[in-house]
Amino acid sequence: MTDTTAQTGNGRPKGYRSTRYEGLLPFAILAIAGVALPLFDDSYIGLIATRACIYWILVAGLNLVVGFAGQIAIGWVALLTLGAYTTSVLTAGAAMPALPPYLALLIAAVAGAAFGVIVGLPALRLRTFYFAMTTLGFATIVTQVALAWKSVTGGGIGVAGPVFPSPFEPGWGFYYLCFGLAAVATWMTANIAASRFGRSLVAIRDAEVAAEASGIAKPLLLVTVFMFSGALAGIAGGLFASLQTYITPDAFTFDLSILFFIAILIGGRGSIIGPLLGTIILTVLPEFAAPLVAWSTFLYAALLLAIVLAMPGGIADLLDFKNRRPLERHREVVPRPEMLAHLLRGEGSILSLANVVLSFGGVRAIDGLDLDVRPGEVHGLIGPNGSGKTTTLNVISGYYAPQSGSVRLGDAVLPPGAARARASHRIARTFQTPRVIGGASVLDNVKIGGTIDGHGGFIEAMLTLPRHRRDETALRERALLALSAVGLESLADVRADRLQHSELRFVEIARALMLSPSILLLDEPAAGLSAEEIRRLGALIKSISRAGTSVLLVEHHADLIFDICDRVTVLNLGKVLAAGTPDEIRSHREVVSAYLGA
Amino acid sequence: MSVRRRQVLTGSAAGAVTLASGLASPAIAANEPIRIGYLPALTGPSSSTGVAMNRGTLFAIEELNAAGGINGRKIELIVRDTQSDPTKAVNGAAELIHRQKVNIISGPGNSGESLAATPLIARENIPQLHPCWVDTLIDVKKYPMAFRNAPTNTQIGAAANHYVVDVLKRKKVAVISDTTGYGTASVETYVPMLKEKGATVVYQANIDAANPDLKPDMLRMRDAGAEAIMPWSVNAGFLARICNTRGNMGWDVPIVGQTTLGSGQTKALLEKPEYWNKVYSNNFKNCCYGADGKLPAQTAEFAERIRKAKIDMADTLLWWIASGWDAPRMIADAVKATGSSPKEITGYWNQLKGWPGVYGTVRFTPEQHNGFLDDEVVMCEVNSLRDGAFNLAPGYGS
Amino acid sequence: MLESIVSYGLAVGAVYALIGITYNVMFTASRVFSFTAGMLGMLGGVLGALFIDQMGLPVIVGLVATLACGAVIGVVTEIVTVRPVLKSLEQHLYVLSTLAFALLVQQFTAIEWGTEARPFPRLFKIGAGFLDQQFWLPLLACAVTVIGLELLYRRTLIGRAFLAISEDNYAARALGLPEQWLRIASFMLAGMIGTLAGFSGGELLLAFFGNQSILNFYGFVPVALGGMGSNRGALIGGLALGVFQQTANFLVGGVFAAVAVFAVFIVVLLLRPEGLAGALGARRV
Repeated sequence: MTDTTAQTGNGRPKGYRSTRYEGLLPFAILAIAGVALPLFDDSYIGLIATRACIYWILVAGLNLVVGFAGQIAIGWVALLTLGAYTTSVLTAGAAMPALPPYLALLIAAVAGAAFGVIVGLPALRLRTFYFAMTTLGFATIVTQVALAWKSVTGGGIGVAGPVFPSPFEPGWGFYYLCFGLAAVATWMTANIAASRFGRSLVAIRDAEVAAEASGIAKPLLLVTVFMFSGALAGIAGGLFASLQTYITPDAFTFDLSILFFIAILIGGRGSIIGPLLGTIILTVLPEFAAPLVAWSTFLYAALLLAIVLAMPGGIADLLDFKNRRPLERHREVVPRPEMLAHLLRGEGSILSLANVVLSFGGVRAIDGLDLDVRPGEVHGLIGPNGSGKTTTLNVISGYYAPQSGSVRLGDAVLPPGAARARASHRIARTFQTPRVIGGASVLDNVKIGGTIDGHGGFIEAMLTLPRHRRDETALRERALLALSAVGLESLADVRADRLQHSELRFVEIARALMLSPSILLLDEPAAGLSAEEIRRLGALIKSISRAGTSVLLVEHHADLIFDICDRVTVLNLGKVLAAGTPDEIRSHREVVSAYLGA
Repeated sequence: MSVRRRQVLTGSAAGAVTLASGLASPAIAANEPIRIGYLPALTGPSSSTGVAMNRGTLFAIEELNAAGGINGRKIELIVRDTQSDPTKAVNGAAELIHRQKVNIISGPGNSGESLAATPLIARENIPQLHPCWVDTLIDVKKYPMAFRNAPTNTQIGAAANHYVVDVLKRKKVAVISDTTGYGTASVETYVPMLKEKGATVVYQANIDAANPDLKPDMLRMRDAGAEAIMPWSVNAGFLARICNTRGNMGWDVPIVGQTTLGSGQTKALLEKPEYWNKVYSNNFKNCCYGADGKLPAQTAEFAERIRKAKIDMADTLLWWIASGWDAPRMIADAVKATGSSPKEITGYWNQLKGWPGVYGTVRFTPEQHNGFLDDEVVMCEVNSLRDGAFNLAPGYGS
Repeated sequence: MLESIVSYGLAVGAVYALIGITYNVMFTASRVFSFTAGMLGMLGGVLGALFIDQMGLPVIVGLVATLACGAVIGVVTEIVTVRPVLKSLEQHLYVLSTLAFALLVQQFTAIEWGTEARPFPRLFKIGAGFLDQQFWLPLLACAVTVIGLELLYRRTLIGRAFLAISEDNYAARALGLPEQWLRIASFMLAGMIGTLAGFSGGELLLAFFGNQSILNFYGFVPVALGGMGSNRGALIGGLALGVFQQTANFLVGGVFAAVAVFAVFIVVLLLRPEGLAGALGARRV
């Protein structure tokens, strides 16, 4: 899970040190405090601490849904209810022979997983607010069902919770069970957070288009996360029922849903330690003063408002010391094209578009386009605004399906409208406006590009099994290589939103390089760069193409185009106006009048 | 104060020393105050009874302390509002026992909260006195130190059923409740009891109290041929809607049920005053006007003291306040007679006979921790409400 | 039975429709889905009961005062929860800020006004049975609002400015329309419509803090199904929802009625995420 600093090999920047151990410190403190708690011999503290552990088990899973995937799942108490009733009914032995508590807990996890998927499915189709509403609806429905299904749930009277046998009997024994499970939940979710799954979730949240281009499959990933989160919530429910000794539907209040949700947001999205501290704070806060109890939800809401307005990063931001260190003021991006040899394979293919036609309603954005990009060649695509340049890239990337015509890679036809599959064809791209994840580090952003090359599955990541660890090590090395190639290795651990615009453009290129692309699509990469930076960019692009990649470059900077392009195509109103070498284009009469000027 | 001393010990290096101290059984010195932990629901959806009982409890503590306390010891009431939430009831109980080191716990006042808190209190061997009605809350084997100074749900239902079937002579009955623990438990218990008496339950339902329209259910009841409606809920809004819908339908059937039917809150939500006619609710012998139009002497005197202390009765019921008032006095009597350790208090109660509460006369035995006798529960006519008390229902031989 | 379904269903449906329109008005001005619509409805009932019952003000004065409070709260919502968040790049944050604000107000109401449903005053001395005012007041309020909004959007300059802002934000600003003021004005308008909904529905729903969650959800369903931004959709959807809910209540009662409504909601949304009358989202690449 963690890397050490002792590495050799080319491209390894000097003086790079791991800051992972810094991040472990808060966890270590909490672990020691948690284990030592019984020394205080105060069962009240024990009860509150047990409660915090149980809530954290649920919140740890929900964190992946809300904090990482960015889904506004407000009604999650529904899963706590389900887990609580499942465990209680199974151990009570009313409807069927009584099961041992551990087995009941396991079944509650399975039930939670299944129901988590059901509650989460609308997220795949609905916008944020709509999805939030559906989760609220689910929460109400579950409570109503618990009330109505008297024969099983006891209706309003409720049912007795499970009692765990020694050594986890009620009291400190049970506390250790909950603490242990909470520790396991922390470990598993932290592993996922640090894996390509966690990074993919954040990518879906903050840069969905780029995530698609990197081959990240949103539906499958979200379903997996909902399942995992539901399972944890189910377990938390069973433990909750045991802590309460007896559960009735009125114990599962909307206030609890709010507590879980707000704990994550106060803690900060994309963090594990933040929501952990948030959960502890929100559980403990009302206990400090009796009058506070009545106002507890009011305070939670006030905290949430304050965080959203003043400190959207939450507690995690406060604890993010390494991103407070000031950056060098006058930084220059100096790419190292010699690094490219380690990254690129030199297996290019021809990208050919044949008679592509794309209309939006009545407007023909692309009107019969033929285009060939050969391996080892930089092909420029220029034209006035609105001529269809970016649209062409979007068709090649698979975001738009053309009405007619085909896009081929070598002999294979690329399926239209299948953006996610493009990464496996080794087609990479950058975007007109950099689409990076502001809250993640530069290194994590670049790692996104290599997502599809990971072999380990979700469970392997969760348990940091060897294959996953190998994946991560290889990915990290590769990402650092890519960063050295573009000249940004010294900023690897810096949060992306602290970078200058020009640096972000190079980050996008590094991300694209992770795929060892045979086709690289660049959408106005020089926009906003200084003259010197443009020159370096040009040299880098040229080196990429000389390594065997086919590069299609959409640009407005005429100098850059004529400098490095081997061939140029000029678009106007969706049609090819002219195509040829830079010299031919430069003197082409129509091109000059339509676009270049005298 | 002893509590601060313990608080200083926790959290310091000396905390390790207390590792061996084990169970938090308070050893109270002779002059230390008697600490009563109190878990009412003062806010939240089921708080109307809690707020009223609280008035009685606070008043009783005031009076007792003004009279010099118990054997020179002051009584300290430590209140933790459960907010009608079982989770907070459990937290509160734990805090009262371990942090505040109370001698005894009074409450919780709502069944859902009691169901969760009672096992915890029992595990810690702290005596508990509560006014909840759900039958399963008292179990001499599982919770040997829990006592109830109130009737059981069965007793309540028996009185109401007796009135409907034997006095009003209605054989076809609709039994409904809201969806709380108390409501559903009541319906579950009463329907078989009615059937045993030879009545037919033509309609039985648990209705969401937040539902503003009860017309569908009432129409179904009428269509099923119901001759009496028996609602079981402490939700004034719900009960008022039943009265209003019956009135709007112009349906002439008696409503016989939960005591909250007669509360000032229910009355405030009626659309017309006459919708309160032919409504009969549970009440308690001691809190009703007799044939001479007067309350029993002890109750009358109590009501007078309440009025003098300017405690509001207009929006609530006399017996709720009385119930809250009786509990601390029962505790005080135990401490006065024997002492404040759990064994002493429970020992005293276990042989309590004929304790004269305003709410009702209480008796306990080692095998019976339900304090009320059957005849403490009576039916009253709610539209005779006067200063929080009522007339007995017509035809009620008592 | 049929009269009960129709009278009650249309009345409560009109309240839902008005809440849906409240959502719409806030959305068209700012592209913000605000959690405060249900809160405004709840406040309409509570404030109405407060002014007329508790403080003894005459009905008209109470209504005006309630609407004024709604307007003020609408403006406060815009300033505190919407404007600061629109400036940042994280667009979805407004969901959280409006949720937090709505919760604050709800909790405050629960603590100060009480958690019991309290009676709403009878406004006029007319009507009984199925034509009782509790049934036609919401419908009247709904009709007035819908007609008023139509007139506003089509006939007045400010109304057309609202439409312009919602159609094409950049172009409208380029033309010099004061986007900020227009947004404040529309939140003010939304505040008034929301509280009007609660006030007119007060006799049906009582003055109850729990109405907020109920109205938030049931007021959103017509908007989700009819398409966000479409007042016609909200109107039809709201009335249909009210009648459907009542019918389900009659046929199967309580719990299952709620489940039925929710099931229909989910199924329709999954089939047509943009609503039955809405338009698909714009280009995102």
